[in-house]
Amino acid sequence: MNPLIIKLFLASTYQMTGIPRKKGKRYNKLIFLSGILLGIILIFAGNTAVVKTSTNEFCAACHVHPQATQTWKRSTHVDNQRGVLVNCVDCHLPPKGHGYLKEKAITGIRDVWGKITKDVESLNWEEKSHLEYAKDHVYELSCIGCHQNNFPLGLSVEGKEAHLYYEQHASELHCINCHIAVGHYSQDQIHAKNVDFGMSVTVDKQVYTEPGIIDGLNDFTEFIPDTKVSFEMVAIPGGTYLMGSPETEPLRSADEGPRLEVKVSSFFMGRMEVSWEEYLAFFKQTGVQGKTSDAYLNVKQAGEVDAISGPTPPWGAPDQGWGKGTMPAMSMTHHAVEVYCQWLSKVTDKKYRLPTEAEWEYAARGGTETPYYFEGDPAKYTKRGLIRKIFGVDTTNISSNVNYRLNSMGKSTLPGHTQRNPFGLVHMLGNVAEFCADWYAADAYEMYPAGRVDNPTGPAKGAEYVVRGGSYKDEADRVRSAARNYTKTDSWLKTDPQIPKSIWWYSDCFYVGFRVVCEFDE
Amino acid sequence: MEKPKNTSRRKFIENSALLGALGAVGMSQFLQSCKPRVKLDLKPFLDEAPDGELLKAGVVGCGGRGTGAAFNYLDAGPNLSIHAVADVFQDRVDTFRGKLKDERGVELDDANVFVGFDAYKRLLETDVDVVIMATPPYFRPEQFAASVEARKHVFMEKPVAVDPVGARAIMAASKQAESAGLCVVTGTQRRHGRNYTDIYKQVKMGTMGDIVSANAYWNMAHLWFREQQSGWTEMEYMIRDWVNWTWLSGDHIVEQHIHNIDVINWFTGKFPVKAVGMGSRQRRLTGDCFDNFSVDFVYDDEVHMHSMCRQIDDCANNVSEHIRGTEGYTNCKDTIWNPDQTVKYEYEYPLDAEGEIDKTGGNNHLVQEHIDLVTAIRTGEQVVQAETTAKSNLTAIMGRQSAYTGKEVTWDEMMSSDLKIGPEEIVMGPVGMEAIIPIPGSSPE
Repeated sequence: MNPLIIKLFLASTYQMTGIPRKKGKRYNKLIFLSGILLGIILIFAGNTAVVKTSTNEFCAACHVHPQATQTWKRSTHVDNQRGVLVNCVDCHLPPKGHGYLKEKAITGIRDVWGKITKDVESLNWEEKSHLEYAKDHVYELSCIGCHQNNFPLGLSVEGKEAHLYYEQHASELHCINCHIAVGHYSQDQIHAKNVDFGMSVTVDKQVYTEPGIIDGLNDFTEFIPDTKVSFEMVAIPGGTYLMGSPETEPLRSADEGPRLEVKVSSFFMGRMEVSWEEYLAFFKQTGVQGKTSDAYLNVKQAGEVDAISGPTPPWGAPDQGWGKGTMPAMSMTHHAVEVYCQWLSKVTDKKYRLPTEAEWEYAARGGTETPYYFEGDPAKYTKRGLIRKIFGVDTTNISSNVNYRLNSMGKSTLPGHTQRNPFGLVHMLGNVAEFCADWYAADAYEMYPAGRVDNPTGPAKGAEYVVRGGSYKDEADRVRSAARNYTKTDSWLKTDPQIPKSIWWYSDCFYVGFRVVCEFDE
Repeated sequence: MEKPKNTSRRKFIENSALLGALGAVGMSQFLQSCKPRVKLDLKPFLDEAPDGELLKAGVVGCGGRGTGAAFNYLDAGPNLSIHAVADVFQDRVDTFRGKLKDERGVELDDANVFVGFDAYKRLLETDVDVVIMATPPYFRPEQFAASVEARKHVFMEKPVAVDPVGARAIMAASKQAESAGLCVVTGTQRRHGRNYTDIYKQVKMGTMGDIVSANAYWNMAHLWFREQQSGWTEMEYMIRDWVNWTWLSGDHIVEQHIHNIDVINWFTGKFPVKAVGMGSRQRRLTGDCFDNFSVDFVYDDEVHMHSMCRQIDDCANNVSEHIRGTEGYTNCKDTIWNPDQTVKYEYEYPLDAEGEIDKTGGNNHLVQEHIDLVTAIRTGEQVVQAETTAKSNLTAIMGRQSAYTGKEVTWDEMMSSDLKIGPEEIVMGPVGMEAIIPIPGSSPE
């Protein structure tokens, strides 16, 4: 080593430590060498610590969710023809040089805190594997760090179109919008045109030949002809009520007022949200493999419209693998639902349609004027706020009526687990949110003339439709009878890479379904 | 208590580091102020491509332009050869071989001559290094994608697509070419003109201020057409009459006017976000294309480009571009004027052998394209123009679709449109496609 450097080093060491110079060369060398040694040890120890704490085994030591390890092993990040292995930290931390150590420290502290304060067993790992949560734990920079070429030779036409779309919308999309299953295999996460969806055979039941019969304003059972599917319709006698919420209602939003005196005529409403069984009957009878085409641009193809042409196959798995049957159908578009009602009207020879927003709230309230049709204060049913977070909340009453954020485990559920409302309807609040026929406007109630309004149908024009009732994902405030929401067409269709995007299925919304009403001829 | 000694030292180091950092930032600011406002991706103009290993080219589509392009390629520099040819028609191939032999003394091996719709596939299997594409643009997306997959450098004529699906296929294949280290030059020749490039530099340096509006013109007499002949199938007739059929040419706004639209996109550095256009068919004799278009294109900053193109005899003709800035205006070609119409800047054309001003700008743009391609290949300074050309191409398609439908058409719609025109199947025989001239809007009830 250059003696000059040694001298300089020693000089600065004396200066900083204040050790007197006198003690001779030997002592100097000793200090110098031990300093070097200490430096080396520190570097190696630091490096070893980073390496050791970045192994898959170290991660798995605390993240006791064996299914994550299993699904990782079955994913293409482990099991691939190129024999490349991608480890936990390769995706779940940013690449080195892009805040790796900082993120490692932050996530490390968070994980340790979680390990101490939370019960790992009770965490809802399945929900966390869904896109919106997964995005928080997968670093796009890490994806791009390895996958540097979006346009390799040999890429399929669909792949090219999808990556062009990605590059045009890079700020709105994460690689895992499409490639979510690459790190953890899941048969429910399908990124493809799901042509087999809903095509499996249903249980052995009698095939109905005739539709149900309406006998006055009484509950009836509808039978869908040529299928094995039936469902219950509840008679809702007309009446007058106050639509919207009073300003004193806890956790209300401004769009729920001013309260409006509304008269609603009698109608029938589905006791349950429309189930997969019902929706798939429609899908099987009318579904087409054809194009969803933006035919208006192609004047030469105009004039090819058939009677009722139903949905094309969905992109991915609309049921999220939670099961079909009598589970509520979800993720179909508002347009698809309108076509469903047309079809149902045709095959049953009745007038089925979506409820108006006024009908929906009238039915949901069942004569009550309180936030819910059962007793309780919305503010006391949420887990918002530190005190409630720590001490928990008593949700007994709401839980027996509503499938919402605090009891849903992040999933919709079968009817039958919750109580009926005063009209006998199930899951009006929570479970899946429900489409209404009206266009949404935040100031919709203000636009009506003063006094009583008969059968209002909402604004004449709009961009998004009303969605009511809240869903399994929502907190207590969003599942109140008066709470309003609306469709978000653009963000619900981000992942769908098809050109054009599906008009039948939302690729990024798994919490909206619907319920039908049948008109009553007085 | 005594202060630890090293405090001030540390502070000094921090301060000097800060000073250094500030200095570096300041210096880079200073350096940047000398550059034009945006990075100009311009390569020097060479009179001839540098020498290098033999580059063998294959020509796909050897009609008038294909033959011309092949000769332009041979003129681009030393050690360049035409090695193979593919076309759908035997007579085209024969004429091409004859001309190549008579005028350049090059004889093509029978084994490297291919005829038919899939002739290009067999050409790609030969050891050519460069593919020159000049078939009707309908065929370009598929042929370009295949050439890139075959790892060939490409020269391709404009336009590169007739519909949004095709334009996007070119964009994607262009990105593949980029990552595979291939070079691609397209026939938007004004970008290879010294005169245009000189004015472009001036505009980018702010000589005429910020761009506020633009006009693009291609008004001319009818182009050409063929009458159906006995013995020709419908497909053969359409291809021989291709400029008059939208599915083959993209219509004349795409086929021809793309040049001027591309210049405006080039100078503005953008692509329009929407268009409203109109057009009709008044005098054309064959095919299903319009013969006049007028389109208002709008860029994201509300700058408008008015584009006008016509192919009708005995009308006012004009093929040019015009861009207005806050401090003057330009014809994009060779002059910038002050707002008071006095000349602000003029491109100095070189003199030819006789001492006359050479308006071609020293080198024919058509040859310059190939000089630029060969230079890029031989120097390793990659050039890939396909994506940009595809976007100007899609701009023209957007204008066309607006004129056909009467509707406003947006760039986003074009980027997600499934519009693909042309027959279901490409075979010699009846096409089975009705020739319908688009009529926008609807009649009053």
